[in-house]
Amino acid sequence: MIEFLQIGLDGLMTGVVYAALALALGVVFQGTGMLNLSQGELAVVAAYIAWSCVQAGIPIWPAIAIAVVASAALGTALYQGVVRFVPPHREDSLMTLGVTLLLGLNAIISIIWGTDPRGFPSPFGTWVVHLAGLRLTSQQIGGVVLVAATMLVMALLFTRTTFGLRLRAVAQNPRSAAFLGLRSGLWLSAGWAAACAVGAVAGVVAAPTLGLSPAMMTVPLLMALAAANLGGIGSRVGVVVGGLIIGVLTAIGGRYIPGLGGDLNVVFAFAIVIAVVLVKPAGLFGRESVVRA
Amino acid sequence: MSLLEIEGLRARYGRVEVLHAVDLRVEEGSIVALLGANGAGKSTLLRAICRAVDTSGSCRFAGMDLDGRSTATVARLGIGHVPEGRGTFTDFSVEENLRIGAISRTSFRSRSAVQTDLDLIYETFPVLREFRRRPAAALSGGQAQMLAVARALLARPRLLLVDEPSLGLAPLTARDLFERLSGLRDAWELTILLAEQNAKLSLAIADRAVLLSRGRVVHDGPSGDLATVDAIHADYLGGGAGR
Repeated sequence: MIEFLQIGLDGLMTGVVYAALALALGVVFQGTGMLNLSQGELAVVAAYIAWSCVQAGIPIWPAIAIAVVASAALGTALYQGVVRFVPPHREDSLMTLGVTLLLGLNAIISIIWGTDPRGFPSPFGTWVVHLAGLRLTSQQIGGVVLVAATMLVMALLFTRTTFGLRLRAVAQNPRSAAFLGLRSGLWLSAGWAAACAVGAVAGVVAAPTLGLSPAMMTVPLLMALAAANLGGIGSRVGVVVGGLIIGVLTAIGGRYIPGLGGDLNVVFAFAIVIAVVLVKPAGLFGRESVVRA
Repeated sequence: MSLLEIEGLRARYGRVEVLHAVDLRVEEGSIVALLGANGAGKSTLLRAICRAVDTSGSCRFAGMDLDGRSTATVARLGIGHVPEGRGTFTDFSVEENLRIGAISRTSFRSRSAVQTDLDLIYETFPVLREFRRRPAAALSGGQAQMLAVARALLARPRLLLVDEPSLGLAPLTARDLFERLSGLRDAWELTILLAEQNAKLSLAIADRAVLLSRGRVVHDGPSGDLATVDAIHADYLGGGAGR
């Protein structure tokens, strides 16, 4: 029983990374209709930026802050430089663009930083807590706290500020938003910036555990896609819950279902998603769209 | 000088020209009804004013040339648009919908003015106050149309473009809405350009009526005139005169 709980708990800790990445996917998807398959690589870029800063002698926390800000800037640049030229209803073009950015960023990362895995220092130290027979590392606890804090900030940003109100309005109905004087391009790039900042947090939280390499976020991205589908990509609560569920279930499945474990867990994650969307097509928290043209 | 001066305005969807050299003047403080059958170009004309379709020709608002400006800029200049199908944010609460209407004027000085306007809206439309925490998707057609109008008002526009507000409303609800529009003109010092198929309701509140047919203006005069010309143009109105 203790082992089962421990595995579930470890899964939950992994799930926060999926949740953060899924949140980034959801924010971009709602705004630009694009499933940003390069979200994982963007998180890797953030982790490498933080790593480079640390190598240059900058303490870890300022390094992370720099990485988050740089990621937001990169997100804005990608939207303004590339994404805005593709109309939102061209799903085929957006999909192609997502794959292109994924492979392109991956190549650029390899050129700049090389392909050898590198150690990434945990910003949370290396202590361990034992509680009722369960074992928690400082990296796990710190990761959860940091991601939870990020999500709280995002939730407040989206629901309590006019910044969030503008973002949501442009995402939901760009034409109506324009009739109210909102410049959709400006606010969509702000959405990309916010998404990439969240992705950056996912990257620096995942890097100490996964080891820094260009392919670090490949599996987490697939898990995040599953999480977004499971929770409902239009729901910010849904994608986060989806990420946690995927984290826990794949950890438990990997341990107790023979043959699963390792990369095959991705298949298990999508099996869960398919089972759920058969019953709830829009995901657990998703709503069928009722927007009129 | 008229508040809105349109000369030789053309509009296209792709290669198809839908408006052919339309001339139109709207005097400050008036209600102008834009009548015509489905596909006559009423909505397109409103969208052309807002620069939401490809246009050419001259369009001046309060002496400012709208050419080359974005839809968002036109809105900020003081043109509110209540689009066909309302365009409310269905996932937002009613109050969020209203607040976003005022989003372009939220400097620190205007904050209390926005609150005053919001209170005024709630006084005018008590049902919106009652449902202010509910999602806009929960409103009935008539309530959603009120919300769409109210949202546009919160930007304090000088010119309000209203596109087919009676669409999908029960006759009594539609009549109520039109009477409210007339009252709002005075209370909010508005000029209203109203695109509508329902000629009878529109003529009852309009000072002037403009009849569009296949992208051209075929009649332009005091709304009283059209009541008699009405029969002649019955085909353009899609039977709307008797509706």
